[in-house]
Amino acid sequence: MNKPALYLSAASTISHQPTFQNPGFSAALAQVEASSALISPDYKTYIDAGLLRRMSKILRMSVACARDCIEQAGADQPDAIVVGTGLGCLQDTEKFLNTSLTVEGLLPPTSFIQSTHNTMAGQISLSLGNHGYNMTHTQNTLSFEHALLDAAMLLREGDRNVLVGAADEHIDILNDIAEKLGFETASPLTSGASFFILSSESAGNAAAELTDVYTSGGAEYGQEEIDAFLDRNGMQIGDIDLVLYAGTPVSGAVRNIDYLSLAGVYPTASAFALHYAVDLLATNSEVRNVLICNTLRKSNLGLTLLKAVEA
Amino acid sequence: MDSLKEDLKKQIIEQLNLEDLTVADIADDALLFNDQGLGLDSIDALELIVLLEKYHGIQLTNPEEGKEAFKSVDTMAAYIRKRKAA
Repeated sequence: MNKPALYLSAASTISHQPTFQNPGFSAALAQVEASSALISPDYKTYIDAGLLRRMSKILRMSVACARDCIEQAGADQPDAIVVGTGLGCLQDTEKFLNTSLTVEGLLPPTSFIQSTHNTMAGQISLSLGNHGYNMTHTQNTLSFEHALLDAAMLLREGDRNVLVGAADEHIDILNDIAEKLGFETASPLTSGASFFILSSESAGNAAAELTDVYTSGGAEYGQEEIDAFLDRNGMQIGDIDLVLYAGTPVSGAVRNIDYLSLAGVYPTASAFALHYAVDLLATNSEVRNVLICNTLRKSNLGLTLLKAVEA
Repeated sequence: MDSLKEDLKKQIIEQLNLEDLTVADIADDALLFNDQGLGLDSIDALELIVLLEKYHGIQLTNPEEGKEAFKSVDTMAAYIRKRKAA
């Protein structure tokens, strides 16, 4: 059965790269350095001062990207807000746990309230005044793909515009934990947030088309899973102009790019890859089909297939 | 200047992350929970209860007392002095 097309009509990313409000950024990205820092916009432009003062890094990034997407799409309100996060609000979690260890008596409530994984989706809805479906998915390295699947199902059930995105934030203790666990990465651990408006119709402003999303977990994936995914979309690996991968390159692909070398490492870096792909599809006429292959964790496979919107 | 009120203003700014405010911006009689004053909300009220215990060793358990005590920096200072004198 052919599924109706879904369109990406807005995209916004805050990362260690100059991605925010910078169409065409994909042409100028260099490898992310360990010394790099998050490139933050002036958050006061996007977030009410009363809300901003309580917000940690991940909340600021998420709300600013969400508002930027709404502006780009020219949509008043999305029908739903769906967020993926691997590790959630780490700054507030760390703050609350440290306080509970060092302070006797009452504990300050703000960091506790904002330490839960669904705080981003909640703060976005408060900031927009949105009363629609509000969901957070946390599935380790596949959190963003699960959010995308949820958004796609909502659109196929009748929603018109869904705000979908993902965010994770780096705190210093992650480096210590990674070292103690012997978790070595070729790219530095970073923070990032990417949000999108996924629409059931193209209003003429769509930058790319989301063809399909697939996840599997529990066992190391095999090439046959990737082949089967492409086959169900009437494609072969040779039809893909570019593969963006985390973990292992896809054999037989015309061109492989390790997106972690651009985004840095965080559980939902595949959302950065999606924006990178959308930017390429909108600005580079030689790229028509992109496959994102997320095997950041070897036992988790996330596949996202995109194509350019035909004029 | 009343050093207790000065300290309270510094503590309020720190505890509530009022990044854009300085001690000089907060009048002694400014209403804390009014948009014409500091525009604080219910989560801030909880933070003020924590502030009283953390910095002044005072536990506020009666909500009616809180309503009066948290009107302004003036009333907070008066409440702290009253509790310490008791």
